[in-house]
Amino acid sequence: MSDHDVTISVNGLERSDSVPARLTLADFLRERLDLTATHLACEHGVCGACTVLVDGETARACLLLTVQADGSEITTLEGLTAGDELGPIEQAFWAKHGMQCGFCTPGFVMTISELLDDNPSPTREEIIEGLGGNLCRCTGYVKIVEAVEEAVSLRGGGA
Amino acid sequence: MKPPDFDYLAPTSIDDAVKALGSDSEAKVLAGGQSLIPLLAFRLASPSLLVDLARVEGLDHITDEGDRLVIGAMTRQRRAERDPMVANRCPLLVESLRHVGHPQIRSRGTIGGSVAHADPAGELPAVVLALGGRVQVTGPAGDRTIEAEELFQGFLSTTIADDEILTAVELPASGPRTGWSVVEIARRPGDYALCGALCQLEIGDDGAVVDAHLALIGVGDRPMRAHGVEAAILGGASPTEAAALAPDGLSPGSDVHASSEYRLHLATVTSRRALTQALERAV
Amino acid sequence: MSLFGASIRRKEDPRLLRGDGRYLSDIKLHGLVHAVFVRSPHAHALIRGIDSSAAAADPRVVSIITAEDLPAGLPPLPCIDAEETTKPFNQPILASAKVRFVGEPVALLVVEGDRYIAEDIAGLIEVVYEPLPAVSTASAALAPDAPLVHFESNVVDVLEYSLGDADSALAAAPRTLSERFVTQRYAGTPLETRGVIVEWDELRQGLTMWSSTQVPHSLKATLVGYLGLPENAVRVIAPDVGGAFGVKLQPYPEEVVLGLASRQIGRPIKWVEDRYEHFLASTHGREQYHDVDVGYDDDGRILAIRDHAVTNTGAYLQRLTLVEPFVGVSMLSGPYVIEHQQLLSTVVMTNTTPLNPFRGVGHVQAAFTMERIIDLVAAAVGIDPGEVRKRNMFSKDVFPLHRGIGNVLAGEIIYDSGDYPECLNRALAAAEWDEFRGEQQRARDEGRYLGIGIGFFVEETGLGPYESGRVRVEPSGQVIVFTGACSSGQGHDTVLAQITADELGVEFDDIVVVHGDTDLVASGVGTYASRSAPIGGTAVRHAAGSIKEQAIKIAAEMLEASPQDLELVGGEVRVKGSPTSSVSLAQVAGRVAPGQPLPEGVDNYTLDATDIYHPPTNTFSYGCHVATVEVDIETGVVTLLRHVVVNDSGTLINPLLVDGQVQGGVALGIGGALLEEIAYSDDGQPLNANFMDYLVPAIGNMPEMVVEHMVVPTPLNADGMKGAGEGGAVGAPAAIANAVADALLPLGAKITETPLGPETVYRALQNAS
Repeated sequence: MSDHDVTISVNGLERSDSVPARLTLADFLRERLDLTATHLACEHGVCGACTVLVDGETARACLLLTVQADGSEITTLEGLTAGDELGPIEQAFWAKHGMQCGFCTPGFVMTISELLDDNPSPTREEIIEGLGGNLCRCTGYVKIVEAVEEAVSLRGGGA
Repeated sequence: MKPPDFDYLAPTSIDDAVKALGSDSEAKVLAGGQSLIPLLAFRLASPSLLVDLARVEGLDHITDEGDRLVIGAMTRQRRAERDPMVANRCPLLVESLRHVGHPQIRSRGTIGGSVAHADPAGELPAVVLALGGRVQVTGPAGDRTIEAEELFQGFLSTTIADDEILTAVELPASGPRTGWSVVEIARRPGDYALCGALCQLEIGDDGAVVDAHLALIGVGDRPMRAHGVEAAILGGASPTEAAALAPDGLSPGSDVHASSEYRLHLATVTSRRALTQALERAV
Repeated sequence: MSLFGASIRRKEDPRLLRGDGRYLSDIKLHGLVHAVFVRSPHAHALIRGIDSSAAAADPRVVSIITAEDLPAGLPPLPCIDAEETTKPFNQPILASAKVRFVGEPVALLVVEGDRYIAEDIAGLIEVVYEPLPAVSTASAALAPDAPLVHFESNVVDVLEYSLGDADSALAAAPRTLSERFVTQRYAGTPLETRGVIVEWDELRQGLTMWSSTQVPHSLKATLVGYLGLPENAVRVIAPDVGGAFGVKLQPYPEEVVLGLASRQIGRPIKWVEDRYEHFLASTHGREQYHDVDVGYDDDGRILAIRDHAVTNTGAYLQRLTLVEPFVGVSMLSGPYVIEHQQLLSTVVMTNTTPLNPFRGVGHVQAAFTMERIIDLVAAAVGIDPGEVRKRNMFSKDVFPLHRGIGNVLAGEIIYDSGDYPECLNRALAAAEWDEFRGEQQRARDEGRYLGIGIGFFVEETGLGPYESGRVRVEPSGQVIVFTGACSSGQGHDTVLAQITADELGVEFDDIVVVHGDTDLVASGVGTYASRSAPIGGTAVRHAAGSIKEQAIKIAAEMLEASPQDLELVGGEVRVKGSPTSSVSLAQVAGRVAPGQPLPEGVDNYTLDATDIYHPPTNTFSYGCHVATVEVDIETGVVTLLRHVVVNDSGTLINPLLVDGQVQGGVALGIGGALLEEIAYSDDGQPLNANFMDYLVPAIGNMPEMVVEHMVVPTPLNADGMKGAGEGGAVGAPAAIANAVADALLPLGAKITETPLGPETVYRALQNAS
């Protein structure tokens, strides 16, 4: 099958490539652009490890073909922070031990960034509802919730 | 777990989309892809061509047409979920959408894609069925509408022909003094329910139920409308009495999550709870 | 203030949070080719032929390897078994004549391109199977006419232990109960699946294998053996590992095949297991039932127990498969004095994916069985379950306690330290046990069913045989710590740096921890059995202690003082009582840098020390979980309300990280209690090999969690550390099951199995009424 030309803005950079229709956005990011923070843990849309922002909204990069993303703006974990400076959500994960093996973490951080953009001071119930689509096998989620609450305060929300 | 090879077209008009779909007998329509792409990943589907509707003009809209809402097939679930007009005119849809997967799924998943996928445990097909909505489809022979009662045919199967495309979903707008409820029994929040009941009731000035809609999910090869329960509640039965009729005519399958017998039991429980909550809300 | 014992942030995190983690699948090498395994779709079948001609005709195919292409006489991977009775039941590297479970590897395909192409072409390899009758449960496999997985019987081993005279004590007991307790098959399912990249180096005539493994040194030894290479020709690297939980604690057949293939192909090969494969081909755990007869008296004292456990270990014995059947009975009585015990553990093979230990192996079933027994006894005699536990528990004065039950793997079971009654008291207080009873009564008056349950466990942790620790100080002041214990997310970099900083007084940020690379770490065992802190940490503590001694010796010359007058404080060697007269550790390292004569009495041009620590015996952690739940008696849905854990892992290096270990363990235990089960059809077809249907707990399944620590240091190592990684997973299913049973006590529902999914609870209620 023929390849398809796509131009996708990834973390603010225009990226043009020619891709097979079946190439998932996750594999495009990982294999073509070397943006390996987008992790693949199930490849069938359940675990949330591959969560990225597509035009500002979270989506599962394993359930999106690269061709579908043609013309979109994609943000991955690598694009959330400039240089070595950690953003407030990442700072909060560090401070609260919101991660262990780190494999699910990028997906959580992306989901939380959208959650807090939409709702800068979520209740605990709203946090739990908002993170329902991300699986973590290490932490039991306790410290992830604490990290979200810490991120709220670091971002100056929750007042 | 990578999709098999296929070709891809992203037409910009519905006519071109219909033509593209007709050009290849193994073609499939791609809407949001949130159900189709997992099937591809497991290689349980191997279409030779995907016709992506995302760039087709005119499929992304929510229109209030007085007695009904018309929702373009490619309207993202999240947009509908967040639309205050939808909340006001069709609260059952909004409540149902909150049970569809998770935010990351709803941002890509579409109203039309979910209805056309016709998952027997899916909420959106059941909303269309419960409310007596219909769908607009376009094919080589032109446009037609299909009533919900005629739409769902079997497991992941509808009466939309292979060369037709669902373009919009029509849902009757709710009247005053309407209550609604979605009650699901699921192992984890956001999972497909073992069984669920979607209900909308309207009461008259005397408090009597004047309009009743109840559909069940997870209890058959398609969403099931519980006409017997509806008739009973309209006839003045209590939620408990009416819900006892929910299992009538159902023969759900057994699987790794639940047996047929247990699902029938849940049909009664979820129906009663949904009727009760809908009545409480109908004030 | 010392960093030892402080809840500090992890060294690992900033890198991972920037997206700079390097997990297996992130690694790219020049000229990489891509592998997939062709796996059996049958649970049991003869292989009649393999036709790979259609696949081989594709120009993108680099290699197709079947059992025929492997060197002749390649032995299967070994199972650790003292009696060596189990050899014939080990898994071949690739199936040749017969397949015995769905997912068993039959062929390796290597292609140019990517995994997409590899999957396309794999579909062209035709394996002709002649299906045989298959069996998937232990009960079915024990039937007289059951299909045979291997030879004349599906029972491949029976382990037997006894204490006292259980038969007589049972016959004499005033009261008895008999019951079967069933724990289902579930699995560690780390978020990162397994994966391998292997690169053959012509020049070196050797290979480097990156593998998502818990045991790089063991994998290296395996490759050295199977490829017949010298030690220096094999390097194994475990990069960032995205969770493991035991699933990655053995070398697997895939790793051996890929090693052999790399030598044949001469190009780097990448294989990343996908989630479906993971469910089929990575080891499972748990599936075990216990038939018990218990004798007790009117005061709730347990006098005797007879337990016959049966474990479905799947189609082959893996490296540590026998731990599940062994621990399931040997740790049955946990914290309780039960004088008479007769323990029998039958190992049964079926046509399912093999079992191997994962987080809490055997202990989960032991605790579930024992703790349910205690609650049944308590209900029968009408005494509070907490009180019945106290009456049966060992006091704090019994340690060290020889249990008198042998251990097939690690010697005798000797409980080293603890205070079980205090732990129970603290957990009951934290759970507000008495107050909850009032709440429960009020809820019942409203028709709501709340329950509270205890899950006490004792867990064997900190297994040997040894771990390595090495500390080197560079003239720059950098301190490099090498450990044979490698991380799969636990935080080794942080806690080993804390130990080192504590011993040497150097800055935490000046310490780098190296692990997971057999070229950089000469020897090691790996991370499992909650061993990294007590064993790996102790080795590092000892190595750092040697550095201290060496440094003082070297500094003695530099400061023109006698070693006895020197001390190492804050990263400086100084004269006691004269802190201005000092040299930094960096300066000391500089003094022994090559290019100058060594100080008198100093032998080495380096400030470097290694310790290999062999623990005398294992440490026994313990803890008490108390769960509270609400049960919807109409649907059987269990909602978790609160989960309290009081845990004793001995001395804590970093309480924040131990909290995380316990909380994560509890989540896994919740999965086992309520959600997770690997299901097979009767004929061995997997029914839920995906993340939609195999239910890993999500955030919405979590209760409010309270974790408290109690510290009774073990006398077995310098810092008093015991293992902390698994207890959360061990106590939770018992506590939750007891809470569900407590909620339903007035209704008479019998709770004897996990997972307690809604239908299981509903049926228990139906059967009661």
